[in-house]
Amino acid sequence: MTHLLMLDNVSLSFDMGANIRYDALSSISLQIAAGDRVGVLGANGSGKSTLLKIMAKIFEPETGQVEWAPNVTASLLTLGLGFRPDLSGRDNAYLSCLLMGLSSKAASSCLNEIESFCELGSFFDQPVKFYSTGMRARLAFGSALLNQSRVLLIDEVLSVGDSVFREKAKQALEEQLSPERAAIIVSHNLGQIRSLADTAILMERGEISASGAINDVLEVYQRSTVTSR
Amino acid sequence: MTTIQYLTLIDTLARFHLRGEARQFYLGYLWWLLEPALYVAVFYIVFQLLLESRQPGYLYFLAVGKLTFIWFSKSVVQASSSIENNKGLIAQVTISKAVFPLAAVQQGLYRQLAVFSILLVLLFFSGKGQFHYWFWLLPLMVVQMILISGVGLLAALMVCWHKDFQHLIQLGMMFLLFVSGVFWDVNAVADADVRRWLLFLNPLATLIDAYRQILLLGSMPKADLMSVLLCQSLFLLTIAVGAYRIFQARIALRVLSR
Repeated sequence: MTHLLMLDNVSLSFDMGANIRYDALSSISLQIAAGDRVGVLGANGSGKSTLLKIMAKIFEPETGQVEWAPNVTASLLTLGLGFRPDLSGRDNAYLSCLLMGLSSKAASSCLNEIESFCELGSFFDQPVKFYSTGMRARLAFGSALLNQSRVLLIDEVLSVGDSVFREKAKQALEEQLSPERAAIIVSHNLGQIRSLADTAILMERGEISASGAINDVLEVYQRSTVTSR
Repeated sequence: MTTIQYLTLIDTLARFHLRGEARQFYLGYLWWLLEPALYVAVFYIVFQLLLESRQPGYLYFLAVGKLTFIWFSKSVVQASSSIENNKGLIAQVTISKAVFPLAAVQQGLYRQLAVFSILLVLLFFSGKGQFHYWFWLLPLMVVQMILISGVGLLAALMVCWHKDFQHLIQLGMMFLLFVSGVFWDVNAVADADVRRWLLFLNPLATLIDAYRQILLLGSMPKADLMSVLLCQSLFLLTIAVGAYRIFQARIALRVLSR
């Protein structure tokens, strides 16, 4: 099987100041192949988002290696942290398209598609600062949906919004996940992870503590959360 | 991304930022003109009315100097915090981080085009302006853009590494305000060596003097000083581009981990 992405013994720590370093990731080794759908489980601060940022080339590892197959790009779908509050949903969606590498013409022609997917009505032309969290999530998901990267890194975008939109977003994602693409999904919504992913890894304090079939890892995760209570 | 796509992105970021900024204020885009006009008014009151400067046409002399200086200082200060201010986007997409300071520089250009247009109209109708060599404004503005881009990129990188640099940059702008001949004529310095060194060491003093030569005296800027200014600006921009190539991968970690 051809690997799209390979992490070999990857570690990364953050400088917390006063000579204190926080080990965000320790000795992570992972291989992602075309068609893989990997769920990433773990408590807050366990290194899930940092792992996605390494895969998206936003962070470089301190030690170890990350190898992408030729011409493979990875894109991170998050909850629109970069939205500019004073700009409208339309302007922010246009900007997102440009940031994803679309030309201005292509970005303009995508706006109708994004608008109809988001179902924000007249709010699409209002400043984002007036949006609820769910509305922001709709805009973020609608803008990110046009992504054509081979590796999709999905960080919690499916966990917010009302149930109708969550189901719509999940279906849209299912349509995107062709056998040539891979998806790595971070979510605290275990039901969604179960339905979207085939395999999973469990992160604890920056390390992979369990990996394997989705149901097996979910069982380990649920046991560990019950024990830690 | 291709170069065209990067340029489109920089320009869009700049225009959208200006639009968002204008929406925050009741007077909106009018502040582009009001802010520099009020700066000039304050200095005019202090120097012309309170200190009773006897220099004829001092208001226009001051306006050319101050408006050129504001373009530089405001652009560099905005560029310096631009990477930090866009950490949300930096956490999401892998693009060259130089895009953000360059977008801040582009914003400054848009503002300045409006300011210079008003200044030219005022100079024309007051009869104080000289327009024989007005076409020299274009290459001069290009050189100033190169200078601002180089300094702005370096300032953003420094602030990204240590936020403390933000204070030093603001202090540096205050220092430059007093040593660049904004309120006084750099050609009035009696000692020729001091004058030469002042112009050679401070590209901003050369720029301000060149704008005055073109707009108020109707003469061409001095070729030797212009050549030095262009070399200095290109040198700073080259250093900045090199620094971004070296530190690109570490910028996101630096900004997002604090």
